[in-house]
Amino acid sequence: MVETVLLVGVVASIFVGFNIGGSSTGITWGPSVGAGIVTKTTAAAVMTFFVFFGGWTVGRNVMDTLSEGIVTMDLTLTAGVGVLFFIGLGMLVANIFGVPVPTSMTTVGAIAGLGLATGTLNYETIAGIITWWIVTPVIGLWIGVLIGRYIYSWVNRRVQIEKSEGQLLRLDRRGAVPTPTLGPNTTWQELVTTVVVLIIGCYMAFSAGASNVPNAAAPLVGTASGLDADTAIVVATLAIGLGGFTIARRTMDSVGGELSDIPLLAALFVMVTASTITTLLSWAGIPISLVMATVMTIVGIGWGRATRPITVREAVARDVENPEIELGAIVAEEKAGETAPDIGEPEPEEVLHGGDLFNPRAIIKYVTMWIIGPSMSTILAYAFFSILPGVA
Amino acid sequence: MLSKILVPMDDSEHAGHALEYALDNHPDAEVTVLHTVGVPSMMMGDAVSLTLEDDLDDAAAERAESVFERAREIAAERDREIETIVGIGHPARNIIDRAEEYDTVVVGSHGEDWSRATRRFLVGNIAETVSKRSPVPVTIVR
Repeated sequence: MVETVLLVGVVASIFVGFNIGGSSTGITWGPSVGAGIVTKTTAAAVMTFFVFFGGWTVGRNVMDTLSEGIVTMDLTLTAGVGVLFFIGLGMLVANIFGVPVPTSMTTVGAIAGLGLATGTLNYETIAGIITWWIVTPVIGLWIGVLIGRYIYSWVNRRVQIEKSEGQLLRLDRRGAVPTPTLGPNTTWQELVTTVVVLIIGCYMAFSAGASNVPNAAAPLVGTASGLDADTAIVVATLAIGLGGFTIARRTMDSVGGELSDIPLLAALFVMVTASTITTLLSWAGIPISLVMATVMTIVGIGWGRATRPITVREAVARDVENPEIELGAIVAEEKAGETAPDIGEPEPEEVLHGGDLFNPRAIIKYVTMWIIGPSMSTILAYAFFSILPGVA
Repeated sequence: MLSKILVPMDDSEHAGHALEYALDNHPDAEVTVLHTVGVPSMMMGDAVSLTLEDDLDDAAAERAESVFERAREIAAERDREIETIVGIGHPARNIIDRAEEYDTVVVGSHGEDWSRATRRFLVGNIAETVSKRSPVPVTIVR
């Protein structure tokens, strides 16, 4: 009986890991694959390694929170399998409706539902986690705004990320020992930027492992008849890797493809910010969604850029009395400079405002989903474990 | 007699039907096609890439060009000419904000296809929102 339940649990864990692998490989490597810097297969292989690395090290802190912190009792194996079932259900909903349901939040919700049903919920821990869930998107947004408003265009003017034809490196066999040298069209700057892109991808893969391996592994750990932590991490990594090699090919074109719609440089800023937030919180044992941090940083960069202030030079050129903060206004200023209309001329008839893209209502929609996802999993898990108390 | 008609279009089939309907049923009307770019999507990729462009107006116009080209072809088949406007952000809001200046709005019943369900989920049903909030009569074309 125990073996059967364990088998079901491992299968459920693999299903969860497989889906996580698909989506997180997509956002982590989508931009680099889109830019032609790595192939999809290389991406999946590197992903698997760094996910394991992240899960094995920092991920353990999150695993402790999930398996021991949120509920005061020891998880039973059947309860763990039940929790995995609700995580999987959340993913199914996400896949069918194409909405980003954050796995880490669904997981915490399901375990909290179990805690509520059995009266073992550790309110202090859950309050701490929810506080971070509120603070994190704000931090991501704020950093994004700073980057978009002050840093991005400055860096963009100085750094060119490009991919030339031919191999990046080749082996120079003229000497006694073959030494790698630059490929046919490679410049030093290209080599450096390619390496930077790879390193940032690995960093994000690490943070994905730290935050996501516990979702698939934790429910099976910490139970009398479950798996030990090391085995569970290996199983979860293999499942994530499997997802990375298979369905990630599709998600790189959808979720990851969207991230690669934005210039690679901006994508790199987003990746570094989101990975850092996710790694730090995972290190502190707070389950956090990498996707959430990513989306908020992207929105922040766009918003920050859209509200960029007019520079002194432009303001002087047109003698603006009330510098407007919308990007549309800046564009109009620049255009006005080209055709040089007199001061007081009517504005161009149609001015597009970048700010219109980042209306607060757009963000409210995301936040709504982040509230609905974990709430639904809490309610469903609570109902499930209340109706079937024997399972917990 | 309707003299000014707004036809919001995206790259969907129904949008084409809406324009055909407007042109066929109002032979003397002045038809304006509105296309919205930078529509909010799951990760805001489109919207953000648009703001990161140096010149927002040019970038927006460039992205709208394929839709306008198709619209002009449809119009040319009927020996008609159309005006074009680019909007950015939320399609429904763009339509509703501009609708006042027109006598009617003719919109396709469905936007993008099921494969882009995400976008539709986020944006909501555009035709429905427009029909509820538009200050002028709305025709929904299947």
